[in-house]
Amino acid sequence: MTQFLLWAVRYRVLVILLTVLSVAIMVVPGFASPITVGLALDRAASMGLIAVGLTVLLAAGQIDLSGGAVFAVAGIVAVVLQPVIGIWPAAAVGTLAGLMAGAINGFVVVGLGVNSLVATLATLLAFRAIGHWITQSQPVSGIDIMVALAISQVHWGVLTLRAGLFLALILLLHVWLTRTVAGRNLLALGSSPEAARSSGLRPGRMIILAFIGAGVLAGGAGVLQSLAVNTGSPVFGSDMTIFALTAVVVGGTRLEGGRATALGTLGGVLTLATLTTGMEFSSVPAYVQEVVTGTILLTLIVLDRFARQQAAMT
Amino acid sequence: MSTAPLVKPRHVARSTLAVAGSLALPIAILAVLFFGTAASPNFLSVSNLLNVLTSMSIIGVIVVAMTFVLVSGGLADLSVPATVAMGAILTLALQPVLGTIGAFAAGVLAAGGAGLLNGVLVGYARINAIIATLATGTVILGVAQWVVGGVIVYGADPTSGNLLKGRIGGVPTLVLIFAAAVILGHLLLSHTVWGRWTRATGDSLPAATAAAVPVRLVSAGAFVLTGIASGISGGLLALTLQNARPGIGEGYEFDSITAVVVGGVSILGGQGSVPRAVGGLIFVQLLTNVMTLMGVRTPVQGLALGLLIVAAVALDLAVRKRGGA
Repeated sequence: MTQFLLWAVRYRVLVILLTVLSVAIMVVPGFASPITVGLALDRAASMGLIAVGLTVLLAAGQIDLSGGAVFAVAGIVAVVLQPVIGIWPAAAVGTLAGLMAGAINGFVVVGLGVNSLVATLATLLAFRAIGHWITQSQPVSGIDIMVALAISQVHWGVLTLRAGLFLALILLLHVWLTRTVAGRNLLALGSSPEAARSSGLRPGRMIILAFIGAGVLAGGAGVLQSLAVNTGSPVFGSDMTIFALTAVVVGGTRLEGGRATALGTLGGVLTLATLTTGMEFSSVPAYVQEVVTGTILLTLIVLDRFARQQAAMT
Repeated sequence: MSTAPLVKPRHVARSTLAVAGSLALPIAILAVLFFGTAASPNFLSVSNLLNVLTSMSIIGVIVVAMTFVLVSGGLADLSVPATVAMGAILTLALQPVLGTIGAFAAGVLAAGGAGLLNGVLVGYARINAIIATLATGTVILGVAQWVVGGVIVYGADPTSGNLLKGRIGGVPTLVLIFAAAVILGHLLLSHTVWGRWTRATGDSLPAATAAAVPVRLVSAGAFVLTGIASGISGGLLALTLQNARPGIGEGYEFDSITAVVVGGVSILGGQGSVPRAVGGLIFVQLLTNVMTLMGVRTPVQGLALGLLIVAAVALDLAVRKRGGA
């Protein structure tokens, strides 16, 4: 029994994804059609990009709760600057805003020595406030709706630009975490900061870079989202953090650092995308979806704790 | 935690800093009072200050409980907005069935149950409090909306809020409730075994465990307290406003954490008191009031508060490191 549980926990991404997929295909008519798959992938991409950044941070033993707020602010910047400097420069500046936000997080965590949970909780508040400040709490519109159409263009039947970007980044992350020295160093740092430091790694620099990476990804995702809907809003991405976190944890990355898998994150993101799309197609209200997502996250965290205690005992 | 050798100058530095630390808050409050008086003629009036006091009372109840969470080393309870909504929605939704008092009690009970869930996850399963309460918050808020079908609930009996909006002996009822919570919380934290256990647990988990402190029970208890307090706040809020939206408690988690942290209660746990946290609340509320009177827009105030949290936490960590504690 215990053996089976451990196995199920280890390969839980696959088990969960397949379960959710088969239920969705059985319950929702036409769920496996390319259009639905493309739609699910596209909506998963924003959350997925944030999840990629989060996977890297969790690998290093840190966390970023401000992703949703960075997502909103970067999108707003990219939209409000459009009339001033043009669409693509504005998009670049928006992504740059994400980079800045990541750098601020990195500075507060490494420079000021504040625990990353607390630090990014505070910056989450500050970034959201900036979003409300710039927009006066009103949604803002872009200047050219055609860009939205171009961004949402579906290629090869299923992939949009951001879905493709997300999949490419997942593959890159997989190679980076498993095949490169830098990736292995990051995991080493996450599993034991003391050991990593005494073997000559520079944890501060690595952590700042990880935060900057997460900022760029959250910012980039926000910019793409704002371009795709031709709107920037301070309330965008408000439940993004909990969804991205759930996706990463479903994928098997440990919240305490030291273990992270890119393919797991991919599985987690796909699971959540299937779940939310499936529930939406069956007209399940948003609050029930939140109950389901939250319950999954909680169950997995508790299971993970239980499995590790078992492993420690044997 | 620090590996710095314990040499004399550091002790001197620590005691100076400690004195400066305990005086900082009263000085800051005085400074805001002076500044507010100079900046706006409406600031230093009985009606304005009474308004500030009344408006801080509802969140104040949560601040008292949140102090226990931070002191016990539980970091923070992020499910507060959800439990507030749970208390608010149930109070108004059950009012026609159970009557005002019964519905209020049911709301508080349900919120306490949510707190118990947090407590079990954090205290017994030893899951990081921020992650656990972020997840439970999503679930609790979802359930609260589910119960009423995702709509805004309105009060069935508009007179039920009158007592809360009124005054007893010249003092607003809400302020009296807040005062009672502060006194109870202070007695519990600073004058009972439970309080000593709470500080010991936050100070050093292994040491407290070795000293036979029921650490799991104590960490869990802090979250049950925030659950109950949030339920009470939610119920009071709903009865005062006569409506309950799912977003009714939005921001209450940050506001209460800000107050506690600005009051000088360490995020690392182990020390702090209810009066300090209330001092932090008074400071933050006065500051917000002054900013509002000066015409500073709400988002800018939010930004200022975010910076205030970072500054307070960074200062606390710096002081602790230098003290070698």
